[in-house]
Amino acid sequence: MGPSPRSLELFYDVLSPYSWLGFEVLCRYQNIWNIKLQLRPTYIAGVMQDSGNKPPVLIPRKAHYMQKDLKHLKKHFQIPLRYPKDFNLVILQKGSLSAMRFLTALSMEHPESLEKASRELWMRVWSRDEDIVEPQSILAAAQKAGLSAEIAQGLLEKSSTAQVKDQLKKTTEAACKYGAFGLPITVAHIDGQTHMLFGSDRMELLAYLLGKHTLPVMLKAELGGASGSLRRKGSLQQASSLKPSRAFSRKLLSLMGHPPCC
Amino acid sequence: MGPSPRSLELFYDVLSPYSWLGFEVLCRYQNIWNIKLQLRPTYIAGVMQDSGNKPPVLIPRKAHYMQKDLKHLKKHFQIPLRYPKDFNLVILQKGSLSAMRFLTALSMEHPESLEKASRELWMRVWSRDEDIVEPQSILAAAQKAGLSAEIAQGLLEKSSTAQVKDQLKKTTEAACKYGAFGLPITVAHIDGQTHMLFGSDRMELLAYLLGEKWMGPVPPALNAKL
Repeated sequence: MGPSPRSLELFYDVLSPYSWLGFEVLCRYQNIWNIKLQLRPTYIAGVMQDSGNKPPVLIPRKAHYMQKDLKHLKKHFQIPLRYPKDFNLVILQKGSLSAMRFLTALSMEHPESLEKASRELWMRVWSRDEDIVEPQSILAAAQKAGLSAEIAQGLLEKSSTAQVKDQLKKTTEAACKYGAFGLPITVAHIDGQTHMLFGSDRMELLAYLLGKHTLPVMLKAELGGASGSLRRKGSLQQASSLKPSRAFSRKLLSLMGHPPCC
Repeated sequence: MGPSPRSLELFYDVLSPYSWLGFEVLCRYQNIWNIKLQLRPTYIAGVMQDSGNKPPVLIPRKAHYMQKDLKHLKKHFQIPLRYPKDFNLVILQKGSLSAMRFLTALSMEHPESLEKASRELWMRVWSRDEDIVEPQSILAAAQKAGLSAEIAQGLLEKSSTAQVKDQLKKTTEAACKYGAFGLPITVAHIDGQTHMLFGSDRMELLAYLLGEKWMGPVPPALNAKL
């Protein structure tokens, strides 16, 4: 039996495109790394307010940069992200409160569907430029995620109860307590320590902290599709296609923190 | 003969720790990737002002986060980064104007020493918590970078000429024209297109755009052993 999985909490809001990027990466790695991914629906507007921060898009150059950044990242991350036509309306005005309350209710009643339902909401707002505020929009996403109409309707009604509103508040406060000033944040519990990482661009660092020493994707592919083999020590030395010299293998292993002799 | 190297411009300020991270990564990869790295000393305070942005540390949680983030990244990037004891004094008050003017003068007269001198200034302010504002501080960094005392002194004097002040302004404006709201920015010229990437955490994306291999922030030196 190996070591127990490390707990990773992802605090996210479907209104946040970078949350989607981080979400998909962690969903992909949850079956590769020895981790337990806990999804935490959070209210980004609440985080902003509590931290005294402001949405980056209020600075014109940041708004302009974000569009270009996401255009590149969507290809690199292979996520069908598309900027909403009326960004101000969708993101700054309509927001995500009812959607995040729905996901909160889901996390309390049917957590096994939380990943799919979150994804379907992102697909609506950040891929097909569809509404996520109206009840029918949320129901549509829920059903696309595999929930029956009855269950979805029940969850929608639960969304406006004090219990669910309170849970979303609690999760948002927890994110703030971890130091969040935006989303996504990934909170990793490793060897008794807690590390909060902000953004979708700290996943390589996360791997480093988890001790996985992620190989870059292209190098991995050259080493013969190391699906799951990254967890096994010495996997580099089993590489056939790259045919590194011994000296190179040992150097690379030592750089990754493995003892040179396996 | 292979394809010509792609030009990468790195706009940076030694006051910016993330600039140091980006700088070292690109310096490491300049002999691995088919690129030509052009260092552009820039004035971060000027970029902030022009873009209407503010230093992240003015938000308490961002300031707190930055310290932790850099603590992790220094290990992952293997850079001897250390937070200055009096951050506000060093970063927000004393600043980097004379240092960046010096590096500008260096870029105009002895560009071959620009990489080393930049590194020595980072080592002062962001590793040994030493001053980079006083003339003798800048001279010390310059000499550690291999410049003679005479040349260093000459460059220091040139730093306060209109020509050098103007060049730093021009470079800072160029960064702003590329859309900078902070530093570092990496501007990649690839197949007739220009891509501006902000921060030290877009290097893997840069590799993707260049069609090059990303091997993490500390790539193994490919020196004939392979």
